[in-house]
Amino acid sequence: MTTLAPDLLPSVSTRPLPARTSVRAARRVGFKVVSAVLVLIAAASVTFFAQLVIPGDRATTILNLQNGREQKWSTAELAPVNDRFGFDHPLIAQYLDYVGGFFKGDLGTSYTQFRPVTSVIGAQIVPSLVLTIGALVVAWIIALVVTLVTVKRGRFVSGAGSSVEAFTASLPHYWVGVILLVVFAVKIPIFPVIGGDGLWGTVLPVLTLAIPLSGFLGQVTRDEFDKVLDQPFIVTARARGMGDTGIRLRHALRHAVLPAITLSGWALGALISGAVIAENIFGRPGIGQVLVTAVNTRDVPTVSGIVLVVAAVYIVANLLVDLAYALVDPRLRAS
Amino acid sequence: MTSSPTLSRTRRLVAGAAGLVLLGSALSACGAGAAADGSGTKVKGGTITYAHVQEPPCIFGGWIQQAYISRQVLDGLVTEDQDGSVKPWLATSWDVSEDGLTYTFTLKDGVKFTDGTPLDAAAVAYNFDQFENTEINGTAKVSMDPYYKSAEAIDATHVAIHLNKPYPQFLTLITQGYFGIQSPTALKTRSQEENCEKPIGSGAFTVEQWKKGQEVIFKKNPKYTSWPATAKHEGPAYVDEIHWKFVADGVSRYASLTTGQSDVIYEVPTVNWKQAQAQFNNTIRYITPGKPVSFYMNTKAGVFTDKLVRQAFAYGADRKGAVEAGFHGVIPYEGNPSVSQSTPDYNEDAAKAYAFDQDKANELLDEAGWTEKNADGVRTKNGKPLSVKLVYGAGFIFTSEGATVLQALQEQWKEVGFAVKLVPATMAELWGGKFSDPSTFDATPSYWTSPSPAILWIVWRPNTEKAPNGNNRSFYNNEELSRVIQSANTATDQNKGSELYKEAQQIISDDAAGVGLYTQNTLIAVANDLKDFWVEKSQGEPVFSDAYFVK
Repeated sequence: MTTLAPDLLPSVSTRPLPARTSVRAARRVGFKVVSAVLVLIAAASVTFFAQLVIPGDRATTILNLQNGREQKWSTAELAPVNDRFGFDHPLIAQYLDYVGGFFKGDLGTSYTQFRPVTSVIGAQIVPSLVLTIGALVVAWIIALVVTLVTVKRGRFVSGAGSSVEAFTASLPHYWVGVILLVVFAVKIPIFPVIGGDGLWGTVLPVLTLAIPLSGFLGQVTRDEFDKVLDQPFIVTARARGMGDTGIRLRHALRHAVLPAITLSGWALGALISGAVIAENIFGRPGIGQVLVTAVNTRDVPTVSGIVLVVAAVYIVANLLVDLAYALVDPRLRAS
Repeated sequence: MTSSPTLSRTRRLVAGAAGLVLLGSALSACGAGAAADGSGTKVKGGTITYAHVQEPPCIFGGWIQQAYISRQVLDGLVTEDQDGSVKPWLATSWDVSEDGLTYTFTLKDGVKFTDGTPLDAAAVAYNFDQFENTEINGTAKVSMDPYYKSAEAIDATHVAIHLNKPYPQFLTLITQGYFGIQSPTALKTRSQEENCEKPIGSGAFTVEQWKKGQEVIFKKNPKYTSWPATAKHEGPAYVDEIHWKFVADGVSRYASLTTGQSDVIYEVPTVNWKQAQAQFNNTIRYITPGKPVSFYMNTKAGVFTDKLVRQAFAYGADRKGAVEAGFHGVIPYEGNPSVSQSTPDYNEDAAKAYAFDQDKANELLDEAGWTEKNADGVRTKNGKPLSVKLVYGAGFIFTSEGATVLQALQEQWKEVGFAVKLVPATMAELWGGKFSDPSTFDATPSYWTSPSPAILWIVWRPNTEKAPNGNNRSFYNNEELSRVIQSANTATDQNKGSELYKEAQQIISDDAAGVGLYTQNTLIAVANDLKDFWVEKSQGEPVFSDAYFVK
């Protein structure tokens, strides 16, 4: 962390970039894209093989699922299933077939729903993104408000603020969800119990995920905020006669949110796969639920497809985090 | 769904606390809801919202979840009445040949599938052929497997089903939802995906849309002509739509009913059952016939190869007390390991065997040679501890309440010297076959629903190299038992058949090849402004075609 006030740093250049710089930039973008694709393939491959390592046979699972049993099947009974899904082909052939497919936008066909995995995921991804992005935004709002209002406001107020953060950060999602449901859908029936994917029904699931996350974001922001408010440039700003609120918003905030931005990249990916509890309580569709079902039923293409999507969300999230850094920290833009 | 033990404990606590709050709100709602006691006038139309638990991969198939849901769109040949008798449905009457080998069904005239094709004898014959000879429905197949020969369309309205031995249970077995008749044209010409999601039958409803992970929307079939003889009214359904929602969480499922967001809920949490009975006029506790939730005892490997040890295990813990406490007195204890109390030809004596008696358990274990005890109080024989690996399906066969029952039993078994290790298995592990080999467990509890004692053959048929039977998870091959069940299945004298089925249950109980625990159930609560919702007899399939709202 520099001790220079941001105002003293060189201003961002507005001149057009020289040719060589743009080539370098293009190469950097190209590199990022290629590594993103490699990460995706690696994620899908690892998932593909990891699932084959789990004890248990795919054809057995399919038959047991179709018949609601947990039994062993004879070779003769398993043969048609093995044949239909190609389980009897060599592993490497199955793998190449799978990887080859997703360059053509084909993620395979679900073993249990008989539908293309892209359509299994496609139907669920929008409600999932609405839920996770909504939760992230709301968590940020709660975290920022609590931090801005309470940090360094005297022992009692800031103590209360950090207690709220520690408390919310330690709440289990299931507990938050049920309490919200009982209070705001049953006792005071403002929101529906089974929300589906409607807007009104999205409020409680979003809060279920947002409240604990806001505690985490608040905690890291508070630490940083605390430090920043002791920096000389803040003293300088005060000396210039700036009001406390102005200082907090204009100068301190930018510094304080950097760790929380880093954390958000992780949180977005974790939320999208971890949303299953909120989806369960409020009867909401989403890929969290699909993932759990698919893992349970050894639906290899569906699990791999979802992991691929979650990996893509991580990549995009990290890209957004990089962009956000540049946005809040002008020094990064200059370099 | 699986959950770690700590999580499930948290869930129980939260569910209990939430139950109390819901109780408070329900009591206050009682006064306000007096108008909704159901004495109002009948309304035509409307949408029934039904909150179910598990979402199957396809609408039809061999899983009980699929019998429930496919019943809404597919009609069967015959149906079972509340008194256990078989009544007409698509078949208006039937004749059984003298030798018991041919069932000739007369079909209702003019019935059409919802794709416009006729539901005639050829269509029925095609469906039975599919049940037996394809993977379309393994439970339908196994229900008629050893006795089914062929199906033959005699003319447009007469279909004959030929058996290779008399099998009087055949009629009862085909009342199950697994035997729903589908349009052959749809099966032959549409993709597997389409048939999976929107099967074409002649039922009171059609699948309009399946929002995966959320709900299946059924639309009324306005041209419905083929209601069963057990229907409460004639004609198409009263309501326009059913929204069959999947709500995995018990707290929210129950809350959806008390707040009026759903009209019918499946699997009322047992903590809420008493309150539901007080608040709702129509609550249904259906005890599912067939094999109850009972332990398969591994007779092929491990400590339970010794009958005395199996019997000691049965005596050693208060199963009745644990079930009553764990399920708040709502779900009944079932001492008979092979068929539950709602199954015809139930053997009550077999159910009374092995009442809690730890002295007896100790005696048997001493007799079996497990006389030493190690530092942990576990009995040993030749230095080997008396340990039992008990594998159970966590979250799908056993709810957290069921797991509590097992934990209570585990403590009591410890008192007589068993070291019982509870192994919660995920659906992926159980269905993937991780615990299907005799070397992988000592006892495992499971159920198998069926309206007939013929379930005994499906479960207990010997598991041999030549004719494997993966359902016989006790690996219990008893020639005498096999002979008795087969004689029962083919006995044309009903009393004789009944006696033989009871004898078979006695053999299984005497040998402790299985140990009873509790019945499988359907617990349903219906909103007070919805009338004439009912569950059918064979499997507890919910029936919405007679239901209507009152104002």
